Amino acid sequence: MTAVGAADAPPQGVGASLRRKEDARFLRGRGRYVGDITQAGMLEVAFLRSPVAHARLLGVTKPEGAEDRVFTAGDLLGVGAIRAASNLAGFRVSEQPVLARGKLRHVGEAIAACVAPTRAEAEDLAAACTLDYEELPVVTDMLAARAPDAALIHEHWPDNAFLETRREEDLSDLDGIAAAKVTRRLRTARHCMAPLEGRGVLAEWDPRLEQLIVTSSAQMPHVIRTGLAEILGLDEAQVRVIAPDVGGGFGYKGILLPEEVVSAHLAMRLDRPVRWIEDRLEQLTANANCREHHYVVTAWADREGRLLGVEVDATVDAGAYSSYPFSACLEAAQIGSIFPGPYTLPRFRCRTVSACTNKPPILPYRGVARTGVCYAMETTLDALARQLGIGTDAIRLANLVPPEAMPYRNLVGKVFDSGDYPEALRRAIACFDLDRLRARQAAGEYVGFGLGIFCEQGAHGTSVYHGWGIPMVPGYEQALARFTPDGGLELRTGVHSHGQGLETTLAQVAHEVLGVPTARIRVVHGDTALTPYSTGTWGSRAMVMAGGAVAEACRLLGERALAIGAVLLQAGPEAVELAGGAVRRRDGSAAVALEEIARTWYRRPQHLARDVDTGGLEVTAGYRPDPDTGTHSYACHAVIARIDRDTGAVALEDYVVVEDGGKLVNPMIVDGQVLGGLAQGIGTALYEEMPFDAAGQPLAGTLADYLLPGATEVPDVRLDHMETPSPWTRFGQKGIGESGAIGPPAAIVNAINDALHRFGAELTDLPASPARVLAALEAGRRR
Amino acid sequence: MSRMPIRMTVNGKAAELVAEPRTHLADLLRGALLLTGTHLGCEHGVCGACTVELDGIPARSCITHAGACDGAAVRSIEGFDADPVMAALREAFSAEHALQCGYCTPGMLITARDIILRLPDADEARVREELSGNLCRCTGYRGIVHAVLRVLAERRGTAP
Ligand code: FES
Ligand code: FES
Repeated sequence: MTAVGAADAPPQGVGASLRRKEDARFLRGRGRYVGDITQAGMLEVAFLRSPVAHARLLGVTKPEGAEDRVFTAGDLLGVGAIRAASNLAGFRVSEQPVLARGKLRHVGEAIAACVAPTRAEAEDLAAACTLDYEELPVVTDMLAARAPDAALIHEHWPDNAFLETRREEDLSDLDGIAAAKVTRRLRTARHCMAPLEGRGVLAEWDPRLEQLIVTSSAQMPHVIRTGLAEILGLDEAQVRVIAPDVGGGFGYKGILLPEEVVSAHLAMRLDRPVRWIEDRLEQLTANANCREHHYVVTAWADREGRLLGVEVDATVDAGAYSSYPFSACLEAAQIGSIFPGPYTLPRFRCRTVSACTNKPPILPYRGVARTGVCYAMETTLDALARQLGIGTDAIRLANLVPPEAMPYRNLVGKVFDSGDYPEALRRAIACFDLDRLRARQAAGEYVGFGLGIFCEQGAHGTSVYHGWGIPMVPGYEQALARFTPDGGLELRTGVHSHGQGLETTLAQVAHEVLGVPTARIRVVHGDTALTPYSTGTWGSRAMVMAGGAVAEACRLLGERALAIGAVLLQAGPEAVELAGGAVRRRDGSAAVALEEIARTWYRRPQHLARDVDTGGLEVTAGYRPDPDTGTHSYACHAVIARIDRDTGAVALEDYVVVEDGGKLVNPMIVDGQVLGGLAQGIGTALYEEMPFDAAGQPLAGTLADYLLPGATEVPDVRLDHMETPSPWTRFGQKGIGESGAIGPPAAIVNAINDALHRFGAELTDLPASPARVLAALEAGRRR
Repeated sequence: MSRMPIRMTVNGKAAELVAEPRTHLADLLRGALLLTGTHLGCEHGVCGACTVELDGIPARSCITHAGACDGAAVRSIEGFDADPVMAALREAFSAEHALQCGYCTPGMLITARDIILRLPDADEARVREELSGNLCRCTGYRGIVHAVLRVLAERRGTAP
């Protein structure tokens, strides 16, 4: 029992850029996604979907002879509707039927489920159904939605709004004292989140366990389980949700799906495994569901650029229904609480509306409202700076929360934990030769420089979410840690990893605490039967919350191992310590590896005293930071954009991100998160848009129409990290998963406007497509 | 619906199959042959997730009719385990963090291998252009581009 543990192994704990454990299976094509799983006797579902945006549904005629293979709302006995209310004052409750009932409220709404041995045959059935409906006037524009004569989407409501929020403050004196005032009207475009793998679900009933087993491409399996049990009238213990490998989420898979409910019901009713796999056409046309905002922003500043006040009127196009669990209002209501951004704004007035329209219901996409808010705030600041004739850096430095004020509580009560925001800005700017850029501009080139700075609240918990009053409020995050009899370490977590690398990073956390080599640590996730409850992976929370919970479970497990180790070393508890994967006598004379301790506990208990801690080598522990108002990572994006004056195309010449995610558990993976988010943000800024025509028809039905950035559209970004630990989390880590997607529209459009304003032009609406850039230039020419 | 016989060589082994005329190659591989490493991202020829090697050339299996592959040799991601170029790419993809959710990865690797063999002198711009038919929603491409450049450099003997 000596010489245990290698002293000079490469670092594997918190802070190491460890290669990912999960890569091996993916690189061989051995990932297992829901579409890869089949069961004997399985039936496939194709949905008959609404061809119109707003209509009274009068009837569905099933194909002759196939009446028992086509199911409409009337056939779903005992199945409830999806209900995602919020207890924010004034929230209007609606129900989302899992198959349309009485009315059709958006193109793509599911009307009937058709089952057959293959998807192709199921689609044949759907195509053979006939629909009878009476079209109604369509509400496609979120501003027109509230016009007095607009058709009502939910007829028991007085108008088409889920919720209106107001933060009142009298700003009427600011006109008299401000040196500058600007007003901007801005729009962001409706998006598809477009993970490369679509949604999918395979449901089956296990008669032995009397359990419904639902395998779903899901980010939050435990929340889906709760929702499914409620809506199907089952005990929660009768539902098991498995999320296997998931081909990207970004928020798109943080939802209880109508298709999930229908597939589960049919599996029970038909006593056959039933599978539905979303295809790209369904995703684009039935589920374009995020990011569509409209803002009117007015800002006042003094001569130095210090903000005196901001007034915002924001509308979010929330679509036709309230999705479970995040509801239709989270995004708009969030605008009211995050608009002040990283600044010391003294006065603020804000109205937000969650408008109801004949479009698919919204979901929180990576960054949620922050991408739109950052875009609105940052472009408005640049407009102010131009009016004042000061630099876009100067106006930000005049308003950013200074490091000495941390932790800082802003005027709406958000608490920023730590960081040096001005330093991030200075570092980003120092990466550029701006004199050269100004010279190019003076020579007539259409180039510009733009900044976007923001903070990202992540891992916010009970104290924040109970206020929303939506179906899900995160509490303590739990993790289970246990030694297996062969001395391996198994971690079980209720969050899900679908690209974030948690199978690696949570092992790093456990290694940090226990010293077990990561090769001997397995992370189990994605199965409600195997893992402790968790609200899942969303809100940049996994590394803070599950990381904290794994650390706590491992700490407690270590204490148990220490007690056993002391017995084996015939030492008193104070004479031993846990280090390097072993329990050691403090005097260095002897050690026993954790593996040996595990083997003894499970297989040679005769070596242990009877009064040993009977809890054994398995611990479930909970974690919740205090305070739990969330971490605030922050970043400054800076970019040089070049515009082709003939085509309107925008090229990104040089892109810099200075990011502070606190202590980085795995810097390589953090870089990956930032870069991946950034590509999505570039999509928001320049390419992605789901246009709807006046009849509510989505106009981009393929990936040749809905443009995702490719390798030629995303530049080789320069990435710099500051690492200011959060004082509130286990290792100082901060949530950073969404950050990359927040900054690009602001920085890129600011760069475009820096180029355009010399020609009297300014861009306000996203994406900055060639057509919009040319239109802005043309408008400038006419001015 | 009628069914047609198809003989192919798949990953070096002869296969005799039947398929409906409307079946695409990806469904045939994923279904009858259980080769689920070939992924479907769009089924209309844009995303590249379904890329396989068809008679030695990368092809989109979602817009390739199975019936058109009678007599063809198909290699899917499962068929490259003994291939040294693929081994180098796999190593580089992991080292450069060129994958997150893994869904685009099989198609990306098959395209990348083709770049390595066809364009040994490709620079970054060329690599990006050649990869532009394969979408990745997770990584932002930098890791993928760097991984391909790393293997190109290794093969030229100019690796740092
Ligand atoms: S699935 Fe074949 S190109 Fe997208
Ligand atoms: S790794 Fe997820 S799509 Fe590329």
